[in-house]
Amino acid sequence: MAIVSTNSNISRYGRPVLAWGVALLFFFPIFWMVLTSFKTDADAVKPEFLIWFTPTLDNYLNLTENYDYWRFATNSVITSVCATLFTLVVGIPAAYAMAFNPSRATKDILMWMLSTKMLPAAAVLYPMIFLAKGIGLYDTHVLVITVVSLINLPIAIWMLFTYFKEIPKDIIEAGKMDGVSTWGEVKEILIPLAWGGIASTALLIFIFCWNEAYWTVRLTTIDAATLSKLIEGNRAPEGLFFGRLSAVSTAAVGPIVVLGWFCQKQLVQGLTFGAVK
Amino acid sequence: MYHASKSDFKTRLQTWLPKLVLSPSLAMVLIFVYGFILFTVYLSFTDSRILPSYGWVGWENYNKLWRLSHWEISLKNLGIYASLYIAICTAIGLTLAIFLDQKIRGEGILRPIYLYPMALSFIVTGTAWKWFLDPGIGLEHTMHLWGWESFEFGWIKDRNLAIYTLVLAAVWQSSGFVMAMFLAGLRGIDSEIMKAAQIDGASNWNLYRRIVIPLLRPAFLSAFVILAHLAIKSYDLVIALTGGGPGRATELPATFMYSYTFTRNQMGIGASSAVIMLMTIAAIMVPYLYAELREKK
Repeated sequence: MAIVSTNSNISRYGRPVLAWGVALLFFFPIFWMVLTSFKTDADAVKPEFLIWFTPTLDNYLNLTENYDYWRFATNSVITSVCATLFTLVVGIPAAYAMAFNPSRATKDILMWMLSTKMLPAAAVLYPMIFLAKGIGLYDTHVLVITVVSLINLPIAIWMLFTYFKEIPKDIIEAGKMDGVSTWGEVKEILIPLAWGGIASTALLIFIFCWNEAYWTVRLTTIDAATLSKLIEGNRAPEGLFFGRLSAVSTAAVGPIVVLGWFCQKQLVQGLTFGAVK
Repeated sequence: MYHASKSDFKTRLQTWLPKLVLSPSLAMVLIFVYGFILFTVYLSFTDSRILPSYGWVGWENYNKLWRLSHWEISLKNLGIYASLYIAICTAIGLTLAIFLDQKIRGEGILRPIYLYPMALSFIVTGTAWKWFLDPGIGLEHTMHLWGWESFEFGWIKDRNLAIYTLVLAAVWQSSGFVMAMFLAGLRGIDSEIMKAAQIDGASNWNLYRRIVIPLLRPAFLSAFVILAHLAIKSYDLVIALTGGGPGRATELPATFMYSYTFTRNQMGIGASSAVIMLMTIAAIMVPYLYAELREKK
């Protein structure tokens, strides 16, 4: 419900101007970073070139030389793709069980799972590192993938649950009558019907995995280090390599900004633990 | 499920299968969350320093912790940071939501622009803000070279003001999504109520103050809980933006915990600070979850 006021000029022109002004402010820091990434390191700190400058692609062409970008990017892709898949493999059966065989405790279990997302990671950080080093998994893909998917599992289950609940129970029941096995039910009925929901969940989890910094930075050194680690390690520019640092940061967030644009709704849903539907 | 069948095993399997497939997720959450929390709680009562050790020292770590000026500073910082962050985000979020709810032209473009900071990781946004706020290369430098010599914006290097740069960057990152929460709340309000009030001659200001904002109470509550727990957990942003400095000016409990556990080799104290953070979040979360659950039943 909108209250549309018609009577004053302030509300007719003032509000849109303000709304767009705020949008500009929101846009500026990242816009500035992207712009800087097309400048040479020398131009980047000269204000006369703030907007008007000769763009160069050098920073992007030299990403590998300057920062070994592709190794970190490959790790980010491996981690995010595998973690997303693992989350779905564990999450779909769990959400299926809760959506189609609900018990009195289902809601409580869901809430409890989501509540674990709110705990400070600090409280489990040390035991995790201790365990990882103890079993020799520190700085491996296996560890990072496991941890990152576990972190996102509650959100994934909860989102899948809300999508699965939309599917009429009768369809599943009918399948059961026809003697379809449980696995068949999931594969033949549930997955095709809930495809859109599964895809949006996957996209959201992928974004979360890609952005994950707390754990990936602390559980890796080199071998399994992701882009978060690369940025974290190079954030002090001191004006010297400003252009190229901007390029590597832009290259690190580029894919996510594009994906994020496509799934804003899921993003909000996931970030608010379902407070916004 | 209940119609009796000959193959008992299969029936039983069908009944148990949902529970079986659910159990790995539950087990993992149980072990990784609660198991590790218990371990941290246990560590906080031991004399662990660089490595875990199992000499029981009772409440000593907690006593030490509360005597540390470092911890006191980080709590004060958290107080300033969290209260400003929550208040400003809520104010901006609500204002933007009301604007967007007015059918402003270009809503489809505005909404994603407000939201996109949230899609970025704190490490990157912290870095971008660090550059922007740095007097040597960012805003101040640019203004100087453009001829505005007296322009000063060195908050990030100022012990007393650095904490506010943290608020600035965090507000920038989250207000868009607070806006989304309020917008959803606004769109959910029954239009009949509004029409009735408008017919009765309520002014817009009164309409918002007396009707809309009270109706948005659930949105306020969720926004508060989500922002509060984000504030207490804030770590990436601090590390990327100020690294806790200058000095200890932007040290928060999360960075305190990290430095005591991993770089100062005072694991027992680090663990006790983690336990206190946990308790604080629990004190906010438990009543909220309890209320949510009761409502749904």
